[in-house]
Amino acid sequence: MRLFADTHIDFMGLSRVCVTASALLMLASLIVVVTRGLNLGIEFTGGTEIQVRYAERADVGAVRAQLAAAGMSSQVVTTIGDPAENEIYIRIGAGPAGQAQTADPTTAALLALRGAVEGRADLNIEDEKRVATLLAGAPGLSAEQAGQIAERVLDARRERAIFRSLDELGTIEGMTPEVLAHLKREATVGPLALRSQSYIGPAVGRELVQKAVLAILGSLAGMLVYIWIRFQFQWGLAAVVALVHDTVITLGFVSLFDMEVSLPVVAAFLTLIGYSVNDTVVIFDRIRENLGGKRAEDLRPLINQSVNQTLSRTVITSGLTWLVVVSLLIFGGPPLRPFSFVLTIGIIVGSYSTIYVASPILVLWRSLLERRRGKDAGTPDGSAARRARKVRTSG
Amino acid sequence: MSKPLVWKFLLIAAVVLLAAAFAFPLDKRINLGLDLRGGSHILMQVDTESAVRYETDRVVTSLGQLLKTDGIAYASIVAPAAGTIEIRGTDPGRRSDIRERLERVVRSWDASETGAGTWRAIMPASYRTAVEAEAVERTLATIGRRIDSLGVSERTVSRAGIDGTRILIELPGVEDPTRVKDILQDPALLEWKAVTYPPSYRGDPASWIPPASREELAAQFGGTTPDDTELYPQDIPLQDGSSAVVWWPLQRVSTVAGADLRSASRSADEWGDPAVSFELTQDAGKRFEIATRENLGRKMAIVLGGPSDKRVISAPVINGVIRDQGIIQGGFTIEQAEDLALKLRSGSIPTDVRIIEERTVGPSLGRDSIRAGLTSGLAGLGAVFLFMVVYYRFSGLNAVVALLLNVLLIFGCLGALPFLFGNAGIRATLTLPGIAGLILSIGMAVDSNVLVFERIREELRLGKTVRSAIEQGFSKAFATILDTHVTTVVAALFLGFYGTGPVRGFAVTLVIGLVASMFTAVFVSHRLFELVLARNPSTETLSV
Repeated sequence: MRLFADTHIDFMGLSRVCVTASALLMLASLIVVVTRGLNLGIEFTGGTEIQVRYAERADVGAVRAQLAAAGMSSQVVTTIGDPAENEIYIRIGAGPAGQAQTADPTTAALLALRGAVEGRADLNIEDEKRVATLLAGAPGLSAEQAGQIAERVLDARRERAIFRSLDELGTIEGMTPEVLAHLKREATVGPLALRSQSYIGPAVGRELVQKAVLAILGSLAGMLVYIWIRFQFQWGLAAVVALVHDTVITLGFVSLFDMEVSLPVVAAFLTLIGYSVNDTVVIFDRIRENLGGKRAEDLRPLINQSVNQTLSRTVITSGLTWLVVVSLLIFGGPPLRPFSFVLTIGIIVGSYSTIYVASPILVLWRSLLERRRGKDAGTPDGSAARRARKVRTSG
Repeated sequence: MSKPLVWKFLLIAAVVLLAAAFAFPLDKRINLGLDLRGGSHILMQVDTESAVRYETDRVVTSLGQLLKTDGIAYASIVAPAAGTIEIRGTDPGRRSDIRERLERVVRSWDASETGAGTWRAIMPASYRTAVEAEAVERTLATIGRRIDSLGVSERTVSRAGIDGTRILIELPGVEDPTRVKDILQDPALLEWKAVTYPPSYRGDPASWIPPASREELAAQFGGTTPDDTELYPQDIPLQDGSSAVVWWPLQRVSTVAGADLRSASRSADEWGDPAVSFELTQDAGKRFEIATRENLGRKMAIVLGGPSDKRVISAPVINGVIRDQGIIQGGFTIEQAEDLALKLRSGSIPTDVRIIEERTVGPSLGRDSIRAGLTSGLAGLGAVFLFMVVYYRFSGLNAVVALLLNVLLIFGCLGALPFLFGNAGIRATLTLPGIAGLILSIGMAVDSNVLVFERIREELRLGKTVRSAIEQGFSKAFATILDTHVTTVVAALFLGFYGTGPVRGFAVTLVIGLVASMFTAVFVSHRLFELVLARNPSTETLSV
């Protein structure tokens, strides 16, 4: 089977249109990012994030009121995931700087949501040790049996995420009616179970922002240096321009779709940079090979030839990686969604930019230099010749 | 099969076996990260400045106790700043006695007599550094002991941060971190202090009630409280559930401080209410005996907290001489008394600590994540494998074998990592982003196969023989494959360098996957082609 049989598409003929379109798209992206802003996660802003599952249908307004009553201003309270699962996501800001933090914001928020469960143990919260202690008080159970049953109770809770009623425990192995009755006297099931909670202090948030920016700039510089070593400085610059293009446009989509920018999203951007440059390198390698050590007067036909030769590889590889990423986006669950989203958009933008951004910039750059050299003509050992030699020797 | 080919396949077999040996059994070799199995990741900041403050307080107390035991009179010992103490109102005639005592308690400090009867000692920089370092050490040890007594298995407590003043705590399987966090953050510095009664008070010392504000208290002392006295708040719970604050004037020099405790346990007071009983060291017991005799019929306060937030938890009237055993009442619940005893037993934390980062994933969410990771991985890779076989036929199968081997190598490397870094006891950790990295690296590894296959097709179209097309395909694609791998590894290295926790896990699996694919997609895949050629040397067609 063959998708692309001997294509002779004039990619470079479209370059002027595409470079203009890309520039406009980047501008639009920047405008979107500036006007809409980025939905920065608490890792960067500092703050508290809590995800809880309710036994019954959760009321966003009531949750907000409970938090407000406890003196916490929630930035976001929303349902998350499958509506049937009654899951709520809460985000609380770091609060004004300098103001004395509540010693432990996550605990304070959870207490506010749980309300007082007077005296009785809450089986949606207690850990295995406590449950074992509770069970050990049941008639006719040895400490060992209590421990085993506690383990099974906890396992059932991990499976279901929340107990809606103590009767659900009836099916657990070793749970006799007497033990269950004892549990019902001593314990209850609270209205909610903790799914996850995070707290990031403001200082940590600032550090992480710094690190993220440094990592992205550092990897861009790394790409520039590597391509400079393997090819030429100009080629490296063209590749990095394409990478910046990919990053900016993808960031625009992130802002447009209000995706939360968390640490994995930064990881996704770095992966995108590493991945997107691959396509560019493959084409550059081919251009160099086709150049065969000669110095070309006009790079355009050469680039056209090279892009056409590698077209099926570019499309197949990008397509396959895209399949994988889309599968992550669909099946990977909410924690991976922003990460997969970045790559889903980025791979498309990256493949496009390899063909329509990096190569035309290479040509534009060259012609710009040629034109400038035209002015101080008559130097056979000019920089162009030096460059041509460099291409040959580094190949 | 030619001789060299046999050797090469033996090499491949050896690598596969080695990888399998390190990878299996998977659950023994590979640890699931906290985000997959559930648990708490807590980062704490040690406030080293407060450690200096605490050390200064400690010196004030031990110096005061020593001067008192030796019968050397002084008006007060104060700490004008962290790292500086001042003894005021001593007898200038006992200069040499005081110098000797200063030598004994703070030998390395710069001590001098600054005026008639006034002495000043300043903590030198080297001492300060040592105090800060020891504070982190002791905090680390204390936190470790406290977690152990909670019965959390497989905990890790380690130093973190550039200057090593952070403590990273990982607690797998913790279902509800609330209690753990309270126990981690509480310095639990316990002190007994005598009450300085206002001079204007003429009533029974046992029934004196402190006022509700500092100003009121100062007024009772005629404007300013004496040098040797500090003010401490106490929270008094009210009927309606709220609480009020009263302020106690207490002696700066404590009678008994945290280090004097030998043991503590939960017990009950004479009303049967939960309380904490404690036992003092022999030395402290003597001091306590003297102090309680002096304060018979008066109140002494029990102060608890950290260097910068100390609160009175109760102030009982001393009804008899106490030697080395006592009881603390404070209106505790059973759980509070249990936890306080635990904290006191495990030793105090000589500094303020606070949680600056916490990530807790409940085990149920972790389970969902594992399931989601598996589903998306199988779906994504299944689609890739299917495409490769449909599009490249036999050669696609070759790629699938190489990719599966790649997966095995990734797990083998993850399993081998701890051995490489000399931590054979630890297991490599697989996080949710790590799973994403694994899936993604397979998606990227297929690029190498595609590059080679497309090249072989090109060569075949040029009319080359199958053998030479394969050779040319691999050798021409090699430089490109190397380039693409290096660039991605560069990006991943930056990620690993700057990333934390789970994100670093992603970078690690991605790099391992890429390195492994250089072996599988280039070396193994090439040998597989050669194997086919060796069995059928005169073939004129290649299914690619």
